[in-house]
Amino acid sequence: MEVLETFIVESAIDSETAFYRQIIEDNLSSLRLGPAVGRIKVVLRPEDSLFQMVIILRDVGSKLTTLDIADVEAKAGTAHEVVISIKKERYLPDLLKKLWGRYGKGNISQPDRWTVAVDSNRPLEEAEFIEKMIVADPRHTLHEDLVDFAIRVTPEGFRVRYHLFKGNRFVFVASEEAMKKEWIEEAGAMLEELLAGGKTR
Amino acid sequence: MTGIFLPYLYTGGVHKHGLILELLEDLGGYIIQKVVTGTEVNLIMLIPEKDVHLVKELSDELLGVLLVASLTGVEIAVVSPTLASHHLPHSACDVAEYLRHPGANTNMIGLARGMGRRVSLSMDYERKLINEHDIAVFTFGSFSDCIINKKPKLFEGIEIPIVVTGGPELKTEEVPGADLYVGDIGRVSHRLRRKKETDALDRLNEEVGKVADRIRKQLAKDPLAVLPARVMKEIENQVPDIKRILSPAPITMQLNGLRVKLSYDEYHEKIENLEFDEGVVLSELANVSRSKMKNYILIKIKSKSDVGFAI
Repeated sequence: MEVLETFIVESAIDSETAFYRQIIEDNLSSLRLGPAVGRIKVVLRPEDSLFQMVIILRDVGSKLTTLDIADVEAKAGTAHEVVISIKKERYLPDLLKKLWGRYGKGNISQPDRWTVAVDSNRPLEEAEFIEKMIVADPRHTLHEDLVDFAIRVTPEGFRVRYHLFKGNRFVFVASEEAMKKEWIEEAGAMLEELLAGGKTR
Repeated sequence: MTGIFLPYLYTGGVHKHGLILELLEDLGGYIIQKVVTGTEVNLIMLIPEKDVHLVKELSDELLGVLLVASLTGVEIAVVSPTLASHHLPHSACDVAEYLRHPGANTNMIGLARGMGRRVSLSMDYERKLINEHDIAVFTFGSFSDCIINKKPKLFEGIEIPIVVTGGPELKTEEVPGADLYVGDIGRVSHRLRRKKETDALDRLNEEVGKVADRIRKQLAKDPLAVLPARVMKEIENQVPDIKRILSPAPITMQLNGLRVKLSYDEYHEKIENLEFDEGVVLSELANVSRSKMKNYILIKIKSKSDVGFAI
């Protein structure tokens, strides 16, 4: 599945659809969910106070170790340190947090933007440990981000919510009134439609 | 009342800006607000009509810019349904910030329970707070159904002119209770900086300026007993503690009054007994009361017909 191969927003009035499409795009990019979302469909019915959204996620990848995002080198000579050269800066905060937790802030230095140095008495062993350390787990943060995304794009007053996150499917229904079974069923039908339909944009 | 004053905004370097202040004092004008940011200074001021060219000449000499600031001395409430991330920082903050360009003082008010269609409501306290301002700008969302049918109940009890912003293109008459509707400023999650969006904000400024002019004309029919700017100057002279207030506008001017950012309990007597050269005190000319905002002092100046004379 390609990134955002289907992106549908439906509402009774066309011009309002465009506004909402923009809101969804902005929030997708600010939460950096763009790469994770394969297909998305949103249906708005302001007259019924109803917001329905279904998302099919792409394969979001597996856990990342330090080796995936950086090169690790042990300096055993007089220096006694492990030098980490960053390749993917995006995960640097996660890496630093883990290193600080294990070695303490005093033992970590950053001579420049792309380098992290760890003071250690046993650089060889520690280098081996750091290489295999898990830095980030995209799947774990994805759920949080998706829920956050759903709450951000929903009209604010719609506080009665239903959400389902199963495998790579995400269903979200929100309203101001008591939740009706039909609405959730409708969202289920939307999901089927998305699953069946390939490129419909 | 002495002469006519015109609102202007001077933007220029800090260097030698004191000359402008001195000139204005000699001419008998008023400095409403002075904001220094780094090496830049913004002066919002009222200049006597016949002397504007003098200030203009000096400002050209100092390589500054002198602009008409149509919303000077207007305090505007920017009301958003709530202070949740759905409305902030965009678009409510962008609206509030943009209205400051022509000289207005804006306060952002987030209602406690303003969100939603059926459930939205405003509290008595909030309505009183909004009514302390000159103009209320309500920032609404993208659905015409909500703006036309559901949200206007938030206007109940608001006695000041109401300006509404929203996404769809609607006519002012379609929004019940609104004095003005400006479209293309709906709910957005990015900064308003595209051409269409800044155009809409420019239109908002222009139209709000017209609303302010209408209020000014209404006031001119029965003028205030004293100019708010003059009260401001007297407070600065007679209540020196105001200089210790760090807020950007320690005394905020309104079209028919002022908000003084001093504690009511401690200072209200001093303010009430403010003396003018003509031998009257402020409490004869205005109602001094406790503001709904942070225990500040709110002064609402009475009209000439109420007092019997004007100074």
